Amino acid sequence: MNPTRVLWLAAATGVLSACMAFGAQDQRIGQLAKEVAGKGWIVYAARSAENETWDLFVMRPDGAQRRNITNTPDQEEGGPRFSPDGKRLLYRRFPKGTVIHHDLWGFQGNLVIAAADGTNPVEIGANREHPWASWSPDGKQIACLTLKGIQVLDLETKKIVRQLPRKGIYQQLFWSPDGQWFCGVANARIMWTVVRMDAATGALNVVHEFQSCTPDWFPDSQHIIFPSRPAGQKGYGFTQLWMSDGEGKEPTMIYGEDGYHIYGGALSPDGKYVLFTRCRDDGGGSEKSGAPICIMRLSDAPAIGGPSPALRRLHPGAKDAPVLELVDGWEAHWTYAEIGVKE
Amino acid sequence: MKATLVRRCIRHSLKAAPLLWPVLLLMVSCARHVDTGEDANVTSRGSFEVTARLEEIRGNLIDDPMYDYAHVMKYEVLRVHRGQIPEDTMYVGHYNPAKPRDRVADARVPEIGGNVRRFRVGDLHRMALEVPIDEHYMGGIINKYFGEIEDPVYWAIWTNKVAQ
Repeated sequence: MNPTRVLWLAAATGVLSACMAFGAQDQRIGQLAKEVAGKGWIVYAARSAENETWDLFVMRPDGAQRRNITNTPDQEEGGPRFSPDGKRLLYRRFPKGTVIHHDLWGFQGNLVIAAADGTNPVEIGANREHPWASWSPDGKQIACLTLKGIQVLDLETKKIVRQLPRKGIYQQLFWSPDGQWFCGVANARIMWTVVRMDAATGALNVVHEFQSCTPDWFPDSQHIIFPSRPAGQKGYGFTQLWMSDGEGKEPTMIYGEDGYHIYGGALSPDGKYVLFTRCRDDGGGSEKSGAPICIMRLSDAPAIGGPSPALRRLHPGAKDAPVLELVDGWEAHWTYAEIGVKE
Repeated sequence: MKATLVRRCIRHSLKAAPLLWPVLLLMVSCARHVDTGEDANVTSRGSFEVTARLEEIRGNLIDDPMYDYAHVMKYEVLRVHRGQIPEDTMYVGHYNPAKPRDRVADARVPEIGGNVRRFRVGDLHRMALEVPIDEHYMGGIINKYFGEIEDPVYWAIWTNKVAQ
């Protein structure tokens, strides 16, 4: 056969294979979108196209039925969390023009509790009060991380009913769904260590050291999801999404992609799906306009996106998981409850 | 001839005097004045006030605009102005030490400052302090002495340079 013809044939085969692979990947993403479409709602903060401030939005997990539930041109909102029963939301409200700092937002602005559809927002406390608020399992209390310690506030009486030493935890406190633990970011042997605290005794254990942050609970209260930027990467490196059990044994990567920082890790209420953001900039993008919110199946972990040759060498068993990319946003949270948003 | 020359010199000197006097006064003033770092902030803020020599900075000072942290440094205590500090050596956490003190206050730590522009081993600092650091600051801490010392870590509220 003519050598030129052989080359053309090889190139055409390559292009065809790539198209088929992309087509297959598209099909897998489509299947994932169908699978999650009817599974409740996702709430997240994003810049409003109308007023350019940060507002809160909800959408179905396939990205459908997106709507702005705060729509406040004179304020910024962020950090929404559904209550465990999915009936209410807590979030923070900031003065218009506030730069929402990815590490400071829990200290910034006012704590607000509203109905899950964003109606009836009520400010709880003053500016900068009740920092890093997190729901108790029954939704009647919130735990806050203050300089004085971890404070448990009763929402009906607005009284602090309990206080524990914070033992070096300095941001991103979350109460476990079973109420037995807290997780957060602490100064332990080194800073940026994800820790777990026994909510009854205050005993603390290290979950993951070194450049790890924004931890959150799995629904089983036994595992923790957290972003981590491991050592040994070329240059500054990229933040990946990891998980570990509460004792810090056998940490494993969930998703990584060289060129992107993966933040905002959270689980669906049944623990089958993972929410995260995929951002070119470190920090998750709260200072600008967020980053694409993504969904993947936990059963597809560990997964690697993009070419990421160095990462693939480190994790040879990682998969090419279908990742459903939704809209740009920040700090998304998921409920399976029907939240009463009007169609 | 000689007398004329002398008279001319005196006349020129007198003409230049208005310009020379301030320079001379400044020189005398500088020679006599020792900058102790004392000012209204360092003498009133915090519960402790010391003059101390920066003895050691372990690790590199990170200048990363994305992240805030305090870096623990070792000092030799030379004089205690306020409070009781029993040891000759103390450990002090400085917030975002790569930034000049007059530009370091931010949303996380709004009320700190001073006139130190760079942290250099051997420099003398007059500092207003609190202790322990965890009761006054909630953020990342680089403490390269972790596990090595039992001493409390102080939190620097105001840090002025002392002329040596």
